[in-house]
Amino acid sequence: MSNKLSSSVPTDREVVLGVLNNSEEALNKLYTGYFPMILQFILNNNGDEDDAKDVYQEGIIVLYNKIKSGDFELSSKLKTYIYSVCRRIWLKKLAQQSKKTNNISDFEDVIAIDEDVEQHEEKDRQFDKMQEALLHLGEPCKTIIQDFYINNLSMQEICEKFGYTNTDNAKTQKYKCLQRLKKLFFQS
Amino acid sequence: MRNEIELEGIIEDYLNGKLSEAEATAFEQLRLNDPTVDHKVVAHKVFLDSLKDYASNLDLKNKMDHAHDQIDVDALSKKLGPHPSFIVNLWRKNKSAIAVAASFILLTVVTIYSIQQTTEQTGSYKQMSAELSKLKSSTSNLIREVKSSQTTKAAVKPVKFGGTGFAISSNGYILTSYHVIEKSDSIYVQNSKGDMYKVDITYKDPTNDIAILKIIDKNFSLASLPYSLKKGRVGMGESVYTLGYPKDDIVFGKGYLSSQSGFNGDTLAYQVSLDVNPGNSGGPLLDNNGNIIGIINAKESYTDGATFAVKAKFLQEALSSIPQDSVVGKISSVRKSQLYKLEPSKQLSKVQEYVFMVKGYN
Repeated sequence: MSNKLSSSVPTDREVVLGVLNNSEEALNKLYTGYFPMILQFILNNNGDEDDAKDVYQEGIIVLYNKIKSGDFELSSKLKTYIYSVCRRIWLKKLAQQSKKTNNISDFEDVIAIDEDVEQHEEKDRQFDKMQEALLHLGEPCKTIIQDFYINNLSMQEICEKFGYTNTDNAKTQKYKCLQRLKKLFFQS
Repeated sequence: MRNEIELEGIIEDYLNGKLSEAEATAFEQLRLNDPTVDHKVVAHKVFLDSLKDYASNLDLKNKMDHAHDQIDVDALSKKLGPHPSFIVNLWRKNKSAIAVAASFILLTVVTIYSIQQTTEQTGSYKQMSAELSKLKSSTSNLIREVKSSQTTKAAVKPVKFGGTGFAISSNGYILTSYHVIEKSDSIYVQNSKGDMYKVDITYKDPTNDIAILKIIDKNFSLASLPYSLKKGRVGMGESVYTLGYPKDDIVFGKGYLSSQSGFNGDTLAYQVSLDVNPGNSGGPLLDNNGNIIGIINAKESYTDGATFAVKAKFLQEALSSIPQDSVVGKISSVRKSQLYKLEPSKQLSKVQEYVFMVKGYN
């Protein structure tokens, strides 16, 4: 990586390894490294800073899932991949807002990434569904579920946190909450 | 209820691989035997996977938000964003659209302009009577002195106005344009041989720009008129010619009828494509068959070859104003012209005897 712009971004190999190892440092480097490119693209195509943030984060998630699923091959530069994905996502958003999508000003090469973006969209729907379901679940169920399944707290810890007299009560409560959440999730 | 909770606990432990080997084997056996249990396991797995994806995505988003906070977005946007000027942006984004719009507007303007050019004849209207210069008139006076003894009086005064007229009867009624004689108080006509006769004005029609003169000399007479009057419609593009006196000798001009209306759509007149000069006013406009179809009266100043002629049908009123008993051999609109099917050069030699130069003095 000889050119000047690339000096501030991690190498592609570094990123892939960092993602596979869940390295937060690698994520930070990746994120700050390519954000200006996407910001430039969005700002010059009818978007603002918030749009850039949303689109870029979605793009990074697509990249993460791609790398984690194991079938990521470095057939193109990471930069091109991220740019193409974000470009695709932004064009779709523009189309949804029925803004015009011709005359797009491009700053990088573009490769075909339709499949990855479509997969991401499916996952994104699942994500939204889950978020929605958790929102409707209400307290204290939401926190219990999050603590147990997301933050990986033990039943004993949950029992203490919420002041249940014994773990059986906590388990029963968790069971009821999960049943409701499942119902909300699968119904929506 | 109790059992359900326990079952779910076991399923979770099974999915997380927390069961001992013996327990796992027993549980797998249970799954095989009991489809409801199996279904619960699958459904729970799907759900837990979604929940895990959700958790990891949420985690990733939080981390990215954290990373995002370290970026100075404002500074970057200033550097990378589009030009702050609205106009420049508009131009950059819509270059092609603006180009299309601009060329369309340009085209429209040009088209409208050219239509206006053709529909509104904005050029001014110049009547074709000649106001002859003193130099020119002195030379013509010389000629007259030589050729006509009757005009010694007239020769003293310079000619002020000149035009053309043509005979409409064999006993000396001559038709010309009103504007040729309007400022004159004594008028003479001169034939192609150079003979001059004094005339009186017997009829004036400023609206149609027509005047009728009468040669005072009682002995004056012409052979019967070779041409007749065509009051009907004349087709566009029809060949026409005229004879007139833009100078001291008779001049032939040929052209075609270019419009059924005259200056600014004036329906009293035709527009003909014919080069005329001051002095042609009052001249007859004839078609190829020797019919008089109009009287030359004006041209457009700034357009070449746009000459106007009063339509022959408006002569009728003028003709009927002449005391009928005094007219001999009046021009006919019924009889076929004697020039019919005659060669153009022969037509000319006949017609020119009936075309006069009109000279006005004041």
